[in-house]
Amino acid sequence: MLQYLHNLWSRIVKPKPDLVAFPEIFEHFQGLLQDHQRVMELIADLGEKSGGEYIFDRKYLVDTTEQIQTLLLHMAQGLNLIASNRYLEIYSSLDRIFIPMETELRGRLSLSREMPLVVSLKEAPLDHPELTGGKANNLAVIIQNLQLPVPSGFVITTRAYRLFLEHNHLEERIHGWLESWVAGEKEERQTSRQIQYSILAGVVPQEAASEIRRQAEKSGAYLAIRSSAYGEDGELTFAGLHESLLNVPPRGVLQAYKMVLASLYSPEALIYRQQMGMLGEEAAMAVLAQEMVSSKASGLVHTLDVTGREPDCLVLYASWGLGRTVVEGRAPVDRYVVERDYPHRLRCQEIASKETLVRAQSGGGEEEVEVPPAEREAAALSEEAIYQLARWALTLERYFKRPQEIEWALDQNGACLILQSRGLQLPKSATPPKEDICETCAQYRVLIRDVGVVAHAGVGAGTVAHVASDAEMNGFPEGAVLVTKYTAPWLARIVPKAAAIIAERGSAAGHLATIAREFRVPTLVGVERATETLKAGVKVTVDTKQRIVYEGRVKELLQYELVQSMAFEDAPEFRLLRRLLTRIAPLHLIDPNAPDFTPEGCRSVHDVIRFVHEKAVEQLMDLPRFVKRFKGVQIFTLVSDVPLGLKILDLGGGIDPEAKGNRLYPEQIRSLPMKALWEGLSGPGVWSTEPIPVDFKGMMSSLTKTWAETPGATTISGFNLAVISDIYLNLHLRLGYHFNLVDARIDPDPQRNHIYFRFVGGVTDLTRRSRRAQLLAKILSQYHFKVDTKGDLVVAKVLHLPQEDMVHRLRVLGRLIGFTRQLDIQLRSDEDVPEFVEAFLQQNSPEREDAPA
Amino acid sequence: MKDKLRILVLDDEPIVCKRLKPALEKLGYEVDTFTQSVEAMHQIHQTSYDIVITDLKMKEIDGMRFLDEVKKQHPKTEVIVITGFATMETAKQSFRKGVFDFIAKPFKLSEIQEVVTRAAAKFKGASG
Repeated sequence: MLQYLHNLWSRIVKPKPDLVAFPEIFEHFQGLLQDHQRVMELIADLGEKSGGEYIFDRKYLVDTTEQIQTLLLHMAQGLNLIASNRYLEIYSSLDRIFIPMETELRGRLSLSREMPLVVSLKEAPLDHPELTGGKANNLAVIIQNLQLPVPSGFVITTRAYRLFLEHNHLEERIHGWLESWVAGEKEERQTSRQIQYSILAGVVPQEAASEIRRQAEKSGAYLAIRSSAYGEDGELTFAGLHESLLNVPPRGVLQAYKMVLASLYSPEALIYRQQMGMLGEEAAMAVLAQEMVSSKASGLVHTLDVTGREPDCLVLYASWGLGRTVVEGRAPVDRYVVERDYPHRLRCQEIASKETLVRAQSGGGEEEVEVPPAEREAAALSEEAIYQLARWALTLERYFKRPQEIEWALDQNGACLILQSRGLQLPKSATPPKEDICETCAQYRVLIRDVGVVAHAGVGAGTVAHVASDAEMNGFPEGAVLVTKYTAPWLARIVPKAAAIIAERGSAAGHLATIAREFRVPTLVGVERATETLKAGVKVTVDTKQRIVYEGRVKELLQYELVQSMAFEDAPEFRLLRRLLTRIAPLHLIDPNAPDFTPEGCRSVHDVIRFVHEKAVEQLMDLPRFVKRFKGVQIFTLVSDVPLGLKILDLGGGIDPEAKGNRLYPEQIRSLPMKALWEGLSGPGVWSTEPIPVDFKGMMSSLTKTWAETPGATTISGFNLAVISDIYLNLHLRLGYHFNLVDARIDPDPQRNHIYFRFVGGVTDLTRRSRRAQLLAKILSQYHFKVDTKGDLVVAKVLHLPQEDMVHRLRVLGRLIGFTRQLDIQLRSDEDVPEFVEAFLQQNSPEREDAPA
Repeated sequence: MKDKLRILVLDDEPIVCKRLKPALEKLGYEVDTFTQSVEAMHQIHQTSYDIVITDLKMKEIDGMRFLDEVKKQHPKTEVIVITGFATMETAKQSFRKGVFDFIAKPFKLSEIQEVVTRAAAKFKGASG
């Protein structure tokens, strides 16, 4: 559809070699800024919806995606109008991004060729259980998001399964056999045998087979091949119905794959699916191949006691050797009961007499052997391992929001590994009696009620821990409730450890909120005075769905949440939203000067917006054209002691309407962001004009350096320019050999606010310039900028803060631009960096102006 | 258990029911949810509800007919209508009478909780 519009478009608008007139450019630029804003708002809306505070349906997702598409099309047109059709490839980028989203919204993506036949767990797309199956999807999450140790492996997807059926003309035959079984014409053993035989006799299509072999041979290890059917490990449990083959040599993988596929049609599996009313549905099997762990011990963790006797405990089961002994209940095993509450005390243990163990046989397969007498009565788990497994189990339960059954193994070196994690099926007797949750909760003291904005909905309990600085993060205890003044990006590291988060500042669209949603941590932001109300060390229960914080551990509420039928995060609408968001929200194009900063390099909606904005600004700044283009347009020169030679172009409301001639005085600036930045830049003592003593090495480097080596030298040369409006600033500032770019918007509505800052270059060698980049990064992150550095390049951004916080940050940025002007020469060694950071922070405390009084 | 208000939720999107039930239970209401309008219709002939929350556009019986039936059976019942953002204005015009309030999708849990709290206060005032 976009391609069509694009063709139509190029036919209507013949490329104009001539320059577009200023009023037109001006109008399109304004239009671009507005569209930009609108799309960012829609993206923020979508992000917020994934936090669970909103109830939405599929239609909302369809509508919003369409709106975003229309706006982007409009932006692409706007850019091409400004740039005389120089960026027509952007239309193909839009196609590339939106066509899969449309497929996604129609629910057909797992069948599309875009999806892999075979994929490693490290790279498997998340939220696609219908592609990778429940088991593999969970493991991919555990590896990619939670970063717990899992044996590496790969998934042969349901797409490969469908291809297999197609290739061997099996689909209709299987369907026919199943029908005659359901009609009572044949019994299940016969039906099962027929189907299984034809699967085992089938040929794995070449394109899948070569990928499977490649992945299997990559590690060279023996493999465990398991089923990962869609729906398995989800609300229904197929536990044990499908085949698992252990210790398979790489060359045996294809055969093992077919055996696991065939197990989808075992008599037991057929009967089970018929009883569950799932026979009519298309069965699809993904298969998981993982490196075999020749385990010293293995077993299960239940995050709740299924007997119901120890309601506040986890239960671990362990035995020697491979997991079959425990999972299949072959023999008595060790049982350890551990408290769920920190510090996870071992309440009791029953050590079984373990007579036999299963182990991997050399050359493939398994064997059962006797346990050496000395180990029979010994505990299979050390206290240390028990503690570690308990902590991991609770992390998994916090993430998956349901009681978990976790298979684990201890390798020969004693290191713990997670083999899988699935929802724990609680027998009716173990589910607590249904209490009146409202009355029960009313008995607990409420510390905070109806304050703040929900960033992620959920319930979490733990001990309050305050974190105000980078240094305090290392001491943050696992499972504590994080209470903080800010939502600074550097907090991201501890988010996965938190049971809940409460921040005094921030918005549901901010960076911390995004991270909290990624890790499913219940989070409230904008809770004023939270650090005063919630004292460190106090136990609390946070229910962000109701926006209530209780004193103490509200066990009944935590239980109530765990036994709900489904975590909202696992609802199809939420999965779909998250899948769309991965194509919309991430920003990959960080550096406008990087080689992939092209239409082809755009991988997400955000990338396209960024690209369009940068190129539109670049067009405005294109010097040779600029002079011609702006003939007759009022450009002001800023009169000031700070020798910048700054030119100002006002888009509207940025300067005093009384300003006459072409000279402008700082007090005539009305643009809020420009004013703030200028206040910082021109403040007392900032613009030190003293010559800096240059040491020999710095001097030599500066002498031999040529202008052309400096990145960005081609974009603008000669003068510095600010494009402003009442609420907008885009500033290109070249100071000697380095280059600053500031793009900022300050509006009364925090959702619309941003500051982007880019800094690159310098006069000395790359080492010193990088030192200055490090210094900038350290300082900026203290002000809660999200900072990326690469060599001497710094890209920093801060979003969605209230007006006054943004103003403060721009002032600081102004001072920082002055402060760092010649610092690369002064930063003689890495040890100098902290000293200068300290010096700057002493004069410009991050807390001074925007901390609540 | 005394004085618990009873709420019926009808929406053919299962996610709406699944999310509303616990959110309202925590506020102390007894909640029954339905995704099939026929079943809900059957239910309101069996039992009386104090508050009914219903979607407008559904497959079998549309929200308007359901609402009429609720009011006919139990005139005191307060009805809250959920509707898509686009159809909000039409909805408001066509049944200003008899509806306690309208909520546009997508909506926040806290929004609906607030509306229900008000509806409950009105219901209690009227019957007490």
